[in-house]
Amino acid sequence: MGETALAGPLPDNPPTSRRSFGNRGLLSLVLAVAAIWSLASVDWTGPLLHTGGGSALWDFLLALFSPEVSPDFLALALTAAWQTLAFAVAGITLAVLLGFPLGVIASGATVSASGGGSWPVPVRLLLAGMRSIHELVWAVLFVAAFGLSSLTAILAIALPYAGILGRIYADLFNDVPEEPLRALRASGASPLKVFLYGRLPMALPDVVGYTFYRFECAIRAAAIMSFIGIRGLGFEIQLSLQDLLFGQVWTLMLLLVALVLLVDRWSTGVRRSLSA
Amino acid sequence: MTQTGSSSGRREPLAVKGVSFARLSLYGFLLLAAISWGFILLGGDSGLAEFGSGHTWGNASKFLGQLAGADFNTEPAYLRPARWWETGKMAYDTLAMSVLAIGFAGGLVLLTFLPGARNVGNGGLGGAPSRKWSALYHIVRLTFALTRAVPELVWALLIVFVLSPGILAGAVALGLHNYGVLGKLSAEVVENLDPAPARALRGAGASNLQMLLYGIIPQALPYFLTYLLYRWEVVIRTTVVVGFVSAGGLGRELRLSLSFFHYTDVAQIIIWYLILVIGVDLTAVWLRRLARFE
Repeated sequence: MGETALAGPLPDNPPTSRRSFGNRGLLSLVLAVAAIWSLASVDWTGPLLHTGGGSALWDFLLALFSPEVSPDFLALALTAAWQTLAFAVAGITLAVLLGFPLGVIASGATVSASGGGSWPVPVRLLLAGMRSIHELVWAVLFVAAFGLSSLTAILAIALPYAGILGRIYADLFNDVPEEPLRALRASGASPLKVFLYGRLPMALPDVVGYTFYRFECAIRAAAIMSFIGIRGLGFEIQLSLQDLLFGQVWTLMLLLVALVLLVDRWSTGVRRSLSA
Repeated sequence: MTQTGSSSGRREPLAVKGVSFARLSLYGFLLLAAISWGFILLGGDSGLAEFGSGHTWGNASKFLGQLAGADFNTEPAYLRPARWWETGKMAYDTLAMSVLAIGFAGGLVLLTFLPGARNVGNGGLGGAPSRKWSALYHIVRLTFALTRAVPELVWALLIVFVLSPGILAGAVALGLHNYGVLGKLSAEVVENLDPAPARALRGAGASNLQMLLYGIIPQALPYFLTYLLYRWEVVIRTTVVVGFVSAGGLGRELRLSLSFFHYTDVAQIIIWYLILVIGVDLTAVWLRRLARFE
């Protein structure tokens, strides 16, 4: 799961140009050792390519120039795209509904001046637990526990996504400038009011931007729910691949690209409108 | 995709009679959410009835018990040291796959991120605008978009047609998707750079290579490494899933154990998975601190 505001601005502290040579040397060493170790753990002696693997790759790449565009198949592909979109939207709405309140609590915004309660810590641990496990691992576990249904898949998307959203929301609420908050507190505003009129409006553009980025990820998550048997673009890609119909695979993959780019553009427009 | 970050020009946001694009989007999204939920809940097997029945929750708690080994027909996996060792070796392979994947993605990005930044081709970093670089910009950005939009698991399904199942196949699948993600982020870093050093170098007659080495890399590298390490945290979580199809590491074992109803094995695999995730998160935090040169 993405942990940072990948779609957001660059990290706050610009790296200083004065470098500590020790850190740089150590980092280079660690990265070099990691690269060599990972390369060494591959069994290079066995056959790396399948027999006919090369020609399969070539056929697949060539099929990009002849995607399947018959009306019947396009209708099927568009239906699949809609199914994937619907699951993604359902998953992200549930994730926001769960993640937003948890994020507010985790940010410590609700802790009263007298320090009432240490809720932020257990909530942060809960969020970390939710996002530790990949959505598809949640999905196979939920299928074993609850049986296969649409809600099982949506829950499997929503749980880890709420974990990430909650953590990022908490960080964004904490990263707002302090002075306006102090002014609010000085005028006697309760923690809730400080949150509603201070932290929330200031963090909103980044909150919306990150939520959109997660929406984009949710589209991919919804697509791969085909592995537990949910219909959609991933499901059709699997079927077409089994029949080696690479032209159909490309049509479906390009639809996935279109969906993702559409959300990307939508996100850019909304963020520009919010910060205008 | 071609309109991102600071490169996105000065176009005014769409507004209808004083209603901002943001507000319109909110209403649009709420409508979309209502339709989606309606489609799912009114569809055949929404599962709403099942989640309301005690039977389902009884099954779920039985499943939890089985994970913990309440089913005493066989010796639970967590009491067998040999079994810990076997799954540990798979965890080791999984870790290797994640490092290989992120190395593969990072290396490929280092080779191609430059033309993906708009200001390299259009003269934003000094020098004359070049039509060739601008054409390359669109090609590279489209490649980023394509590799990024397709999930790792779908890449894995394709890769197993070409490569033999194993660590390498999984790493290539993971690497392809992360290439797109990292490529986009890295290109945006270059677009958001302070152009002054590059322009000064260009003015002093520096060659292209010198500009790259002294004008771009020093500023961009810490960001690149930071993003690379964040993506590694994502990759370790996804490696298990890619193992479902590319037959390497913990993923395959998880799938087999679930289908054979070896639930204590499942629990053991999840424990190893969590150890990996926590270990990678902590290592990445440490390395990020080094990368920021703080």
